[in-house]
Amino acid sequence: MAEERKQRMTATAAAAKVPKMVRANFTANLKAKEEGRPVAFSFIVNCYDEILRAMDIVPAWAESYSGICAAKHDAGRFLEKAESQNFSRSLCTYATCGLGFEYWRNELGGEMPPNAPWGGIARPDFILGTGQMLCDPRYKWPQAVQHYMRDVPAYIGGFYWPPYDENMDQREVENYYLKYAVEELKGVIAFIEKQTQRKMDWDKLEEVTDLVDRTWDMFIDAYELRKVRPTPMDTGDAMNTMVPLAFMLGTQEAYDFYKDLYDELKDKIERKEGVAEDERYRLLWGAGLPPWFALGDFQYFNSKGAVFPVERTYREAERIDRLHLPKLSDPLERIALRWMRYWTHWYDAARKRKGSIPEVERLIEYIEDYQIDGVVFHKAFSCRTWHSGIVLQAQILKEVYREIPINHNYYKRCGNRYKYQ
Amino acid sequence: MPASERCSKSSDATKKGAIEMETLNDNGLTMVENYYRDYGYRARALKQAGKRIMGYISAAAPVEIINAAGFTPVRIKGDPKEAVTKAYGSMETLVCPFLLNAFDLALKGKYDYLDGIVIPHTCDSVSRTYEVWKRNFPLPYYHFLNVPHLDGAPSLEFFTQILKTFIRSLEQFTGKEISKKNLDHAVLAYNELRQAMRDLYDLRKPDQPLISGIEMMKLLVAVKALPVDESTALIRQVSKEVKERKTSSSQKPLRVMIAGDQIDDTALVEIIEKTGAQVVMDDISVGSKLYYADIEVTHDPVDGIAEYYLEKVSLPTFYRDKGGSYDENLELRFGHLKRFISEFDVDAVILLVYKNCDPYGFEVPATTSYIESLGKPVFYVEDEYSSSSSSRLKTRIEAFIEMLTQERR
Repeated sequence: MAEERKQRMTATAAAAKVPKMVRANFTANLKAKEEGRPVAFSFIVNCYDEILRAMDIVPAWAESYSGICAAKHDAGRFLEKAESQNFSRSLCTYATCGLGFEYWRNELGGEMPPNAPWGGIARPDFILGTGQMLCDPRYKWPQAVQHYMRDVPAYIGGFYWPPYDENMDQREVENYYLKYAVEELKGVIAFIEKQTQRKMDWDKLEEVTDLVDRTWDMFIDAYELRKVRPTPMDTGDAMNTMVPLAFMLGTQEAYDFYKDLYDELKDKIERKEGVAEDERYRLLWGAGLPPWFALGDFQYFNSKGAVFPVERTYREAERIDRLHLPKLSDPLERIALRWMRYWTHWYDAARKRKGSIPEVERLIEYIEDYQIDGVVFHKAFSCRTWHSGIVLQAQILKEVYREIPINHNYYKRCGNRYKYQ
Repeated sequence: MPASERCSKSSDATKKGAIEMETLNDNGLTMVENYYRDYGYRARALKQAGKRIMGYISAAAPVEIINAAGFTPVRIKGDPKEAVTKAYGSMETLVCPFLLNAFDLALKGKYDYLDGIVIPHTCDSVSRTYEVWKRNFPLPYYHFLNVPHLDGAPSLEFFTQILKTFIRSLEQFTGKEISKKNLDHAVLAYNELRQAMRDLYDLRKPDQPLISGIEMMKLLVAVKALPVDESTALIRQVSKEVKERKTSSSQKPLRVMIAGDQIDDTALVEIIEKTGAQVVMDDISVGSKLYYADIEVTHDPVDGIAEYYLEKVSLPTFYRDKGGSYDENLELRFGHLKRFISEFDVDAVILLVYKNCDPYGFEVPATTSYIESLGKPVFYVEDEYSSSSSSRLKTRIEAFIEMLTQERR
């Protein structure tokens, strides 16, 4: 059973609002299901946010639910169910937690597993995944979960971006990547139209696409206020404030959240109110998923005068003007190119610095802009995509930039069996 | 024997090695043994004679294009008997254990004869470590091939463009155009190899298979580091030799199929065959996954190559869904297993999946239940790419086979 836990302190009022917003997301998908409105399993950075919102599909965020189970120290029983089905414990535990949950629900004939955290997650009408370079569970999880919900159809769209090559300008091949991504987005729309008998409202899609552009800008503007000394917000809070960007993109609520955060941070800066009482060390959360079960650890850093004014993790946005996007009228092209230019944004900088790679250029940019003294890399044992290549990043950072203190942390991401190593 | 010692020993052999294809004179199986024991021996000889050698990872790399560019493709493999010692400093332990082991061998000099490496986007372990290979094992050429996970018309068109970019990159590297004629020739040569391999697989169908699972595994590995024509000739020679065998026993062995990804060592098959059972078929990425379909000869050969890799190679990194029901999709994903089980009269399946493997790991319940639905027992085991776990594996597999043998009595 879930342990009763003390509420974690947050530095900002915005971050403190997030748990309620997450809960509202799950209430919304359960309510939609009850009312017969379409609910789709979706995954973070699926790139379908505008489409879902324009077609009034209620997303049920599968990873988010596993994160909730973990934060409540109640994931272990779902992971054990998954292991009983021979899912290896070396697989992504966001996925195996969700798979164990669905296996159990299927065993119960569609009933929610007993005492499911926050009342559970709705059984979806369909599943939306992606085949892309972000991670394998984005298409393997939907396929695997169908084993326990065989009547639920899935659509997996291809959404790739040009790989980094120091000898080739990615814009040389961008056109065919863009064409493919747009075709696949059309495929998602056709699939949803078929499942729901609803037609895409193209005007609405355009409006939502504009809103997402503005939200990305507002998110970056707010986050960049953290550059000042003392920083008014650090990574401990950012692991909450990522929620609207990751799970509510394309809603006015997400935009308003970052506007409120912006105003709050401005106010804190005016009052010179920092996260740490005596800010002495500024650290970059260089890579890796956070320890959801121990976000309070950031306060331990703060108590020692160390703050994290910036993090790579969950900062999946950039100011639109920095992406140098051409004027496009097709919203699908805008969505696709916005993501593609985001993923390839640090390529040019990497080509300019001998021996560098885009991931390291991004770190260097943050180190300089946020006056960073040291970098922390954090590794979760079951996530290959975020955590492979971190050793190399640390090595290259020191080679091409400067000797900067680097710390590597490891932990096992196993629900209520979480352990640091 | 450590890889470094094997490397120096084989370099002596290389010096003696001739550029001409070695004569087969009724010693196909002996040559297989040599090529298996000293993987890459022939490629090193060719390199010394001035030929170009291109390494590649996984079954998703289009060897036809590499061949058409004038390279001998060599599939990068590991060595489960070799303890990983050097790789830990630069590659994370959470990646695929096969990849970690292969990278370790590269750092120890096992692949120092390569001109380059092609790394397809198959899984997170492979794609996320591309730069790790490039930085720590520098070679004149590296290429990341962005293979999509999906099939269907847009994916096919996209992959065709990806392959054309790959062709341009090779042309730039070699300074030589890859002509349609070269590509056509490569497609035909590999189709011929596939046919020869299928003919050899057929010799496993009789009640008393003419070639053992161990011999077959050695051959499957050996041909991954040979020029295509030499591979085909070797397979034909082995077929000829084993056809001359007389069967001595009238007792039909328990017939096992092994399934998994990069099983490129005889350890598993040895465990199975020492029990008296025989491995008669495989569904592995160095084996049948590559041989049971041909590339269609198309006007633009790149179209046929793209279609083959996206639609005909059954890897779990390719998502199969034509919009049908879950059961219909299962047939698209695993229908070939049904055919193999029937055609090769398979009694049981052993599914070996490496730890940290998301593409195969997420398929385990679906794969095992599909096989069980065919009325065949399946034994799933998760393992690391290391002989250090072979005792544990041996005990479990022996128990499984003993149980089946008793049921047959």
